[in-house]
Amino acid sequence: MQDASATLSPADLARQKKSALDASFFKKGIMIALFSSLMYGFYTAFVTAGQNSVLWAGWTAEIAPTAFLAVFIIPTIASAINDTCSAIWALAITIKQGKLGDFGRTVNTRPGIILMLSALVGGPIATVAYIIALSQAGTIVVPIAALNPAIGSILSRILYKQELGPRKIVGILICVAAGLMIGSASLTGDSSSNIVMGLALAFVAALGWGAEGCIAGYASCMIDTQIGITLRQCVSGVVELLVVLPILSVAGGVPMAQTFSYLSAAVANLPTIACFVVAGFAAYKSFASWYRGNSMCGTALGMACNGTYTFVAPLVTYLVVGLAMGIDGYALPPIAWIAAVVMILGILVIAVDPKELFKKKEAAHATA
Amino acid sequence: MRPLNYAMLKYFTTVDEACADDVMGALAGDYSTFTAFKREKMQEALMTAEKNGLIAESRVDLDSNGDLRVFYSASEEQRATIDSYIK
Repeated sequence: MQDASATLSPADLARQKKSALDASFFKKGIMIALFSSLMYGFYTAFVTAGQNSVLWAGWTAEIAPTAFLAVFIIPTIASAINDTCSAIWALAITIKQGKLGDFGRTVNTRPGIILMLSALVGGPIATVAYIIALSQAGTIVVPIAALNPAIGSILSRILYKQELGPRKIVGILICVAAGLMIGSASLTGDSSSNIVMGLALAFVAALGWGAEGCIAGYASCMIDTQIGITLRQCVSGVVELLVVLPILSVAGGVPMAQTFSYLSAAVANLPTIACFVVAGFAAYKSFASWYRGNSMCGTALGMACNGTYTFVAPLVTYLVVGLAMGIDGYALPPIAWIAAVVMILGILVIAVDPKELFKKKEAAHATA
Repeated sequence: MRPLNYAMLKYFTTVDEACADDVMGALAGDYSTFTAFKREKMQEALMTAEKNGLIAESRVDLDSNGDLRVFYSASEEQRATIDSYIK
């Protein structure tokens, strides 16, 4: 049989090769964005596992659940340790890839500063809110935090005048409805101690990550992803350790020495720190893949693929904490799973234009 | 010396159009030892920049070996955007 390419003119062959290159780039972007969701699941699972270690369980048992220490300080310690571990992973991999010089040269540039500012919003603010939310309400907060693509779309419309047509508005309404379904499920049967505060803080996390996806997305198309994520995790870890924790201690009237004694005890406890080292690596991979996937296949589709962690995070947490560690309370009620499906549908409606998908399918058939 | 990605984007403010090979030829003096200084990675970085509107595809052709070359260019507005972010 004659090779079809032999009959094509050089110009047609070049266009055919370009279509194949575009398809490969698009698929790679989607795979990277989906991988970010899987890694987000492991990040959530191992942060939760760290907060279920014998050491952590002892603190939970001896501190009143409504005390400032239990509500704000201890979960923030978890977030600070996680992000610091993540920053160490990111720095080590940046060094291994020979990008430390470019990392230094990027810090004091406009895109670098923009990325660090968005890291402040998405790191210390959103991550601490998310960790506290997880500790207060369990993995039921995960789908609420997964509203961040919807929030990112709205912020992109306000800040960058990006398109927000009827399809995206419908998708946002679907997500809000799913959030209400989850909220109604939480009011019955969930044994968590402070579900309302948990859900509210999960929404703060969604706001922070939506803002980060919107602002950092633009900066990260100029900055190498590895360098960008190293900047993010370093800013987040350092600010949580050296700014947020001291501020919370002063605000809550908790002696600084007591706060940092909990921190050092967690770092020195092998089963606990092992969980955070794994969680930190998963967080590094998740956020790096999120940035890269967004920049490769577009923020909307990238965030929609990443948004599948609505399923993945509770599932991985159930597998790791519920089944492997044998701790009860991590199986979600059926309505939460249904709501998660509805939320994913909403995210997809926001992110995926059926006309563009149809065009891509046609293009794929044409080049086949 | 700028980070590699910045230098790559900045190059498009100085030429009418360029493909990955042109960019690599122009930057080889300072960046050839960088781990990211590989054709596949540079092509991916160019496609990412194009996806985000910093540069635009101008044409495609085949080189003497039959390998694809994708040429990109930056409009006045795109050059102004790159210049505003990268000094």
